[in-house]
Amino acid sequence: MTKLFRAFGVPLSTVILMFSSIWILGLIAAPQLIMIEQSLWRMERPEGAAEISVQIDGLYNQLDVMALDRSTAEAGTDATKRAADLAALDAKEAAINAEIAALEESESTPVKVYTLANFGQMGAAHLAIFAKTIAASLAVSAIALVVCYPIAYAVAKLETPRTAAVIMLALVIPYAINELLRIFAWQMILNQNGPANLLLGLVGLDPVPFLESGTGVFVAMVYAYILFMVFPLYNVLETLDGNQVEAARDLGASTWNIHRRVVIPHARPGIAVGCIMTFMLSAGSYAVPYIMTRGTAAPWFTQLIYNRFFEATNWNVGAAYALSLLAVCTVFIFGMMRLLKVSLKDIAK
Amino acid sequence: MTDQSTGKAIEFDRASVRFGQFQAVQPTDLRIEPGEFFSILGPSGCGKTTLLRLLSGFLDPTAGDVRIGGQSMVGIDPSIRPTALIFQNLALFPLMPIWENVAFGLEMRGWSRARRRDRAYELLATVALSDHAEKMPAQLSGGQKQRVAIARALAVEPSVLLLDEPLSALDLKLRQHMRAELKQIQARTGITFVYITHDQGEALTMSDRVAVMNRGRIMQVGSPDDIYDRPANAFVATFVGETNALAGKLASTAEGLALMETPLGGFRAANPKGLRAGDEAILFLRPEKLRLLAPGEATENHIPARVLRRDMEGAWSTLVVEAGGQELKLHLAHDGREAPPSGEIALGFSATEAMILPKGEMSDD
Ligand SMILES: Nc1ncnc2c1ncn2[C@@H]1O[C@H](COP(=O)(O)OP(=O)(O)OP(=O)(O)O)[C@@H](O)[C@H]1O
Ligand SMILES: [Mg+2]
Repeated sequence: MTKLFRAFGVPLSTVILMFSSIWILGLIAAPQLIMIEQSLWRMERPEGAAEISVQIDGLYNQLDVMALDRSTAEAGTDATKRAADLAALDAKEAAINAEIAALEESESTPVKVYTLANFGQMGAAHLAIFAKTIAASLAVSAIALVVCYPIAYAVAKLETPRTAAVIMLALVIPYAINELLRIFAWQMILNQNGPANLLLGLVGLDPVPFLESGTGVFVAMVYAYILFMVFPLYNVLETLDGNQVEAARDLGASTWNIHRRVVIPHARPGIAVGCIMTFMLSAGSYAVPYIMTRGTAAPWFTQLIYNRFFEATNWNVGAAYALSLLAVCTVFIFGMMRLLKVSLKDIAK
Repeated sequence: MTDQSTGKAIEFDRASVRFGQFQAVQPTDLRIEPGEFFSILGPSGCGKTTLLRLLSGFLDPTAGDVRIGGQSMVGIDPSIRPTALIFQNLALFPLMPIWENVAFGLEMRGWSRARRRDRAYELLATVALSDHAEKMPAQLSGGQKQRVAIARALAVEPSVLLLDEPLSALDLKLRQHMRAELKQIQARTGITFVYITHDQGEALTMSDRVAVMNRGRIMQVGSPDDIYDRPANAFVATFVGETNALAGKLASTAEGLALMETPLGGFRAANPKGLRAGDEAILFLRPEKLRLLAPGEATENHIPARVLRRDMEGAWSTLVVEAGGQELKLHLAHDGREAPPSGEIALGFSATEAMILPKGEMSDD
């Protein structure tokens, strides 16, 4: 802190600190805290609601009894006494009605209760979708890794810098196009009557229900997020000294061993970043499964979250669902870092 | 490490390399003897690394053949050649501890972990690094890393060790020390060393023989003495050591000597190439062969000159003089007593200590 003030002077340091706090609060802490808070409560009927309803029932009974009294009073002959009795009954009835209204009011106003119950709301069906989403996202990351590693290696190490720049540019250009447009395009490609099935037809194969089987989601997801795997891998492989690869080969290493002992260990931070990014994006993707399946295949977990919020209008359970997903993603990040022996510092680089 | 000679002979047979339109190595014939310490010396970009890559296998000749131990190497993968390469930047594996670096080649040959670990420790002991076996490369000094690279290359028991300017990143003291160490290892193992350098001191002190290269062509192959005392052409004469070059034309020749006309006058000097009268030629004169004449002293070759300055070098000093519009250098033994010469002086040299070579490309450094 003193170092900061010394380096930038008081006014600038204050501004820096202010922006940092806004960043930390607004971008990191606030959304999470609000979600957590939301997930931890629900509205319940107040305590003692049962006694109150018994009380209310009692009061209604009293009203019934009073209706009897009234008919007795109305049958009375003495006009003065009858008027007095009726007035007394009216007053009493008004009092009871007021009491009933008050009791009913307090009985039906729910109170906010803090509880972990929201997290226990996932039934077996939802749990299965949750598990499927995680498994599919893992698979998307794995496929993206397998596809991107050779590409990134070839571009980074085998091509001249000029060619490499052109190839990387070609990889980026599709991503300048709106994501929705690209996914809709894939939706059309993989449609029952789309070009993919047309091609299969030409080879003499039966049409494949890509969209309905969930394959479509998968394909579109690999396509949509593969770039987030290529770049971290490319960046890290770029920095590998080509002499190390040659040294390994000179010492007798096969291609597989060169990668296993030299290239992959070097690429670990890039692999970690790429897997984390593709996994998080896939697990948290809403548009891709929504557009690709349109209800024809089992939903993605994000769609369940959306439903909790906007269709079941239970924001508390929705928040609990969202947080469960976040928790798994966080576990994945740290698991990945552990597995690849990379620290936060390596990843930040 | 075995004590008997394990080195193999190397032969280049009209081997050449083209990169597109660029001829990096001209057709080359060269034989390197088993167990020889052979250096390739030349200016930057002359094709030394390219020549070495033909041996290590990362490059195949565009034409011609390369043989090691009599066997053609064309098309044989680097991983199975009997060579080991030491890179200029060493290329140690930064994520492996030192002993694993050294054991890497053995690991690739399927040795068990315990066995290759023992062997790595043995090898590290021979380069005095046993204490550092468990460290990571980044924790070692430049000289230590250098020795790790040597141990790693020796671990695979190559017949030929290829070294691409391995000492150029070290400071002078360390470089001198490592030269001795390399020489010792070579003597002990009997491995054929092919050593690339652009440092002529290194080439001359360490090698059995030296090849001087320029623009993809080997200009001369010979012992360090041959190269220095009997350069085959103008390039070698100017690239190796310091020299004064006087351009001119041969006037007459007689019994291995010739009389040459230069702007500074006519001089008699050795004519090893048998040039004939009328040929364009250059006369080369090493600064240590040029003498300061006592007043009135007569010699075969006499140059009147004027002192420009004197550069102190330690054991000797270099006197820079002007003669006939040209700068000449001569070395003076430095005894610290006599006043340095100044003003108009006379220089001389004996005919057998200067050399007349055909006109040709000269090194510009
Ligand atoms: N793969 C390649 N493609 C095209 N040209 C190349 C290639 N490799 C080397 N060259 C060219 O060949 C020539 C010789 O290169 P080389 O690396 O053998 O030089 P060198 O003598 O080792 O130089 P230095 O002392 O600087 O290392 C250079 O002009 C270089 O630009
Ligand atoms: Mg080189």
